[in-house]
Amino acid sequence: MAAESMERLAGQYANRAVRSVFLYTREAHPAENYRHHRSMDDKRHHARAFVEHSSVRRQVLLDDLAGTAHRAYGMLPNMTWIIGRGGMIHYKSAWTSEADVADALKGVLEFHENRAKNKWVAFYSERVAWSPRDMRAFKQGLERNGAQAVADYERMIEATKATRTAPSEEIGPRIPGNYYKAENES
Amino acid sequence: MTPSEYNYSEFVASQDEFNDFALHAPKVTMRAPSFPLEDLATGRTVEMRELWKSEIALIEFGSFT
Repeated sequence: MAAESMERLAGQYANRAVRSVFLYTREAHPAENYRHHRSMDDKRHHARAFVEHSSVRRQVLLDDLAGTAHRAYGMLPNMTWIIGRGGMIHYKSAWTSEADVADALKGVLEFHENRAKNKWVAFYSERVAWSPRDMRAFKQGLERNGAQAVADYERMIEATKATRTAPSEEIGPRIPGNYYKAENES
Repeated sequence: MTPSEYNYSEFVASQDEFNDFALHAPKVTMRAPSFPLEDLATGRTVEMRELWKSEIALIEFGSFT
C-alpha cells in the first residue's frame, strides 16, 4: 500500500483543484486481526484502524459490502484512477505508484489548466510502469494482519512460483500487476 | 458475486484479475462509472460523480490489509 506517499502527493496538489480520496474496498489479506468483512460495521472498523495507523488525511469513502464500485473498476487491491472534470477517465493503474501517479497527474493538470489556449489532440495510450516495492514493510503488514495472512501469501508464492527478483525484459515478467502470460504458461 | 464471495476470508491470488482489469475494466477516455459510497467520517452518502464535478478526482482503491 502506497498510503504514505499518496498522502504526500494529495497534499502537494490539494490547492490545484485535485480531490484525492481513498476508496475502501474488501480486505486484501484478511487474517486473525483483521477478518474479512461480514458487515458494514466490520468495514468501518477496519477503515478507522487504517486511518489511525497510516495517518490518512484524505477523505475515506467506503464501498458497499458487495464491492459494487470496486468490481466495476476492476477489483484489484490497490488501483489508482484519475478522473477529469466532467468524468472522463484520464488514468488507470493496476498498482499504485506515487511516481507514476504524479507523472500522470502532471499531464492531466497541464490539459485542464491550458486547454483554453492550446489546441489539444487527445489519444488513447497504454504503457507498463515499474515501481520499487518495500517487501520488508509489506511483510510487516502481513504480520500485523495475523499469521494467516503470512501463510496465505507464502502459499500463493509457492503455488504460482512467483519471484520478487529483478524482472527481465522478457515478456511476462512475474511482477504484481502483470497480466501477460507467456506462451509456456497456461 | 455475492458479498460473501467478494469478501473472501483467505487470500488467493489470481492472475485473471489483472487480465480482467486490463481487458474489461473501463478504459481511459471512457466516462467513469458512478456509484454511491459512504463517507467514513460523516456517514453521508457520496456519489462518485461528485468527486469530479468541479475538480480532478484522484482515487486510490485499497484496504488496511
